[in-house]
Parts: sequence; C-alpha cells; structure tokens
Amino acid sequence: MRQEKMTWVERLDALRNGRSVDRVPFLSFILGFCAKNVGYPVASVYSDPERSLLAQMLTREQYGYDSEPFYGYASFGGSEFGGEIKLPDGEYEQAPSHVRFAVEKEQDVDRLELPDVKNAGVLPSAMKFSQLQIANGIEPSVVVGGAFTIAGNICVVDTLCRWVIKKQGLVHRLLRLATDHILDIARFWVDRFGKGRVNIQIWEPLASNQIISPRHFEKLVLPYQVELHEKLLAIGIKHILCHICGEQNQNLPYWSDVPMGKFGIISIGKEIDITTAIKYFGDRYVIAGNIEPAILQTGTPGEIYELCRQAIEKGKHAPKGFALMQGCEVPVNTPPYNLYTMKKAVDDFGYY
Amino acid sequence: MATRERTKELIDGIYNAIIEMDEDAVTELCKTVIDEGIDAYYAVSEGLTKAMDRVGELYTNNEYFVPELLLCADALYTGLDILRPHIKSNSDEKKKQLIIGTIEGDIHDIGKNLVKIMFEAAGWVVHDLGKDVMLQRFVEEQARTHSDVIALSALMTTSMTAMPKAIAMIKAADPDVAVMVGGAPLTRDIAVSYGADGYADNAGEAVREANEMLKRIMK
Repeated sequence: MRQEKMTWVERLDALRNGRSVDRVPFLSFILGFCAKNVGYPVASVYSDPERSLLAQMLTREQYGYDSEPFYGYASFGGSEFGGEIKLPDGEYEQAPSHVRFAVEKEQDVDRLELPDVKNAGVLPSAMKFSQLQIANGIEPSVVVGGAFTIAGNICVVDTLCRWVIKKQGLVHRLLRLATDHILDIARFWVDRFGKGRVNIQIWEPLASNQIISPRHFEKLVLPYQVELHEKLLAIGIKHILCHICGEQNQNLPYWSDVPMGKFGIISIGKEIDITTAIKYFGDRYVIAGNIEPAILQTGTPGEIYELCRQAIEKGKHAPKGFALMQGCEVPVNTPPYNLYTMKKAVDDFGYY
Repeated sequence: MATRERTKELIDGIYNAIIEMDEDAVTELCKTVIDEGIDAYYAVSEGLTKAMDRVGELYTNNEYFVPELLLCADALYTGLDILRPHIKSNSDEKKKQLIIGTIEGDIHDIGKNLVKIMFEAAGWVVHDLGKDVMLQRFVEEQARTHSDVIALSALMTTSMTAMPKAIAMIKAADPDVAVMVGGAPLTRDIAVSYGADGYADNAGEAVREANEMLKRIMK
C-alpha cells in the first residue's frame, strides 16, 4: 500500500475547495454494512446515534475510505410528516421502510403541516448524531431526500405518480412542503453549528426516469430543486453532495441547472457514465461514482477491481475532481474483500 | 348488430383511449360495445389488450413512464370491469397463470405492480402475493394454483439475495414451474446465477419474456 500524503480530512477539504489531492478520494455510501461489520444489528445504525457513529468510524478505519460518517436513509420524511417507518430486522432487509404513509388519499394532503424539526421523527437522533460528529472532530452533516423523494415518502408512491398527471396541484403542495421542510432542517443545523460548517447530502432516487419522465422532472421537480439548492447555499451551506440516484440520463440537462455550491459533489449511479457526468457537471462540480452495488455484492474481486480501474481512469482528470464511490448504498451482505478491493484499486490507479 | 365499420370504429376508439389514459372515454366506449351487441371478448383482445401491448412498448422505449403506465392501467381495468361479465365462457381455453410477489425483506412494489398489469392485460390469471413475501408463500401458492410462471421482484440489492433460496425452494417442490426475476439491481447474468429461468429488464418486456421462457422450457 502506498504511503498517503494527506489525511482523509485534508483530502476531503481539498476536494471540496478546489485544491489538488494526492490521490482519487474514496467515498462510501455505507450504513447497515458498518453495523454488521462491528457486530451490531443493522437497525442500530439508524436507531442508535452512538453505535451508528462508532460502527461507521471503525469500518472506515478498516477499509480506508475517506467519507465522513453520516446519519440518514432514503425513506426520510415518512415518519416526520406522520407516517410510520419500520427499521430493518429481517435477514434480507437493509434499510428502514414504510409501514404506513401520511398521505394515502387526497384529503390527507390538506391535513399536512410542516414538521417541528426539533422533535419530528428521527430528527432528534440526527441532531444527536451531529453533536457526536462535532465531539469526534467531524464536520456535522445532515442527510435528506430531494423534494420529489420526500414527497414520495409522504404519499403512497403510485398515488403520487397518478397525481403527477391528473392532480398536479396536489403534487405542488407536497413538493412545497418537502422543500420547506428540508430548508427548516438546514436552518436548524446551521443555527446550531454555524454557517459554513454544515455539510448536506441530498438523495434523489424517486425523480429518476425509472419513475417519471424528463418532461415531468423539468416541469414539476426542477423548480423546487433549484429553489432548494439556492436557498441552502444562501443560508450558509457551502457544499451539497447530491446523489442523483438511478436512471437519470434524460434528467441530466435539467440537473445541470441545479447549483451545488463551490464545490459540490455530484454522486451518480451505475446508470450514468462517468464521462457523461463530467460533460454535464465536470467544469463546476466534483463527480463521484459509480460502482454498482449489485456487482459489489455478487461480483468477484477481479470484476470489481477492473470496474474500479475503469471508473478511476475515466474520472481521474475531471476538471474539478473525481471520487471513487459506490453508485448507491453498499449492500449489508457485501463480501468484505469486495469492499476492500475498491481501496486497492484507488491505491493502484488513483494517485496523481 | 354493429357493422364491421362501426365495430372497428369502437375498437379503435378503445385502443386510443387506453393509450391516451382517458378512463371516461373507455367507460363510454365499452358500454357502447355492449349496447351494440359487439362481442366483448373481441373488444378486450383487440381493444384493451392490444392497447396495453402498445403501452408496454411506449414504456420500454422511454416514451411512457410509471405515471402514464398506471393511468393506462386504470383505464384498462375500467374497461375490463365493463366487458368481462359479458364474455362468453369458453371451457376449452386454459388461461396461463402467474404467481407474482416482491421478495421477503423488500416492500417496494411499484415494479411488481407494473408487471402484474402487463400480465393481466395479456389475459393471464395473476395471483398477486403482494410485497415482503415470505419465501415459503411462493411454494404454497404454487401447490395451490399450479401456475405456469412465478415472478419474483426486488428493488433492494440486499433483498435480491433471497431469490436463489426462493428459487431453490420453488424448484424443489415443483421442478416444472418456470421462475422469472426482475427489479432494478438485477441483471440477466445475476438471474442466471440465481437459477432463474427468465429475466425481464422492465415491465414492458415481461410478458414476452415469460412466453419465450415457457417455449424454451417446453423444448
């Protein structure tokens, strides 16, 4: 293993601020795997901030990736708006999932109110996690869904999809609430920890073209996403990591209108080619991606090593930087050596 | 009795109304089909089913997305509700049967529901077990229904690891049933490695894949 010339803190700081790095940073979307890795139940990474942080710090130490521990999950917003979330507890479960949505029918939308960010859902745990981040010398972070993903966590997804065509007023109402809720959270974190000190991750799987058309993305989702990011930056968030999850190739021209900060990170899935991402975002943002989680779980070390080599070679010289990252969350049953193989590839091909 | 031209006009109207997601027009046209004595089975096969074939193509070609497909399906079911009671039963015809469910550990069922729609539109009898389906349930349902195909769906990468076990259990109990899998993290290679007989990349291709899979297995 090569001797690294930067610590992970220095490397991430350089990446986010446009300075050169010693090697391609290795970021990880990794939660449940960490809990399992240190012998905790998978659910503890969501239910127990102290165990969550410890599991993530120990796993990062073991596998040598650069990203900070974070607290969050893709169905965030569900319980905050009055739905019910179930933590993973079965052999084949990875993440929290919906038991009941706050909105199942039209009339439920009228009853929705903006959640109290100090007390709603998992936000007290998220805040506790950020306090632990500070105590451990880590910049506080908060993870939320994009506006449409949160709308789909409030409302039964197929109902939301029907409204996308038939009752767009209801979709606008949900997007408005989702956007305002994310901004309320960000203001709460910035008030607590200070301007320029809070990192935010925004995950947006539901607006993918596996669900909605690029036309609906442009017409319905984009205005809220642009507003959200502009306001986040205005209140003192410097860098946004935006995970454009899933098949979003047809949305890319619109995503390129969404500001991410100087310098934000665009995280892409296996569906988007790294070269394509660089074309759309590379002159303004860091590109991160796009190792397929399913291959990480089922592939051989040789396949993963080669996939990482190709990704690094495509991304390494992106104008504002590149980080090797999984295309979505590391599956909890990923063979440990497969995850290590990503670091091995960074060591072998990632140095500048 | 409606003339051939009038029949064509109504069937074309149903076809177009499904594709345009116009549930009200489908309702009106299907009622007119019954009122004018047109064969309900013909209206289903030439109007509703062919329209959903086209919707499947539009979905596969990224011209339609989930919202459009769901609204087309709503119009389809409206039409089926009106026409089905008027279809003369044909005891000689054996409809193909499908068992479908999202695998244990996974509560995401949109993809599964889209596939179900396409099979129902194609005239299959569908036994929908829902989401987060315990593996043994597939075996039990097959013992009850003796279906032609079992379709397993997963969105989560972790949940898809239940599939090889499910397939082994299903095949141990009934080696003749064909099993197909689908869902975002799956690929044809993974499907093969799990022991599945078939794989569909999306809902629009699922019925064709099932029929081809059955032909392959029968050889």
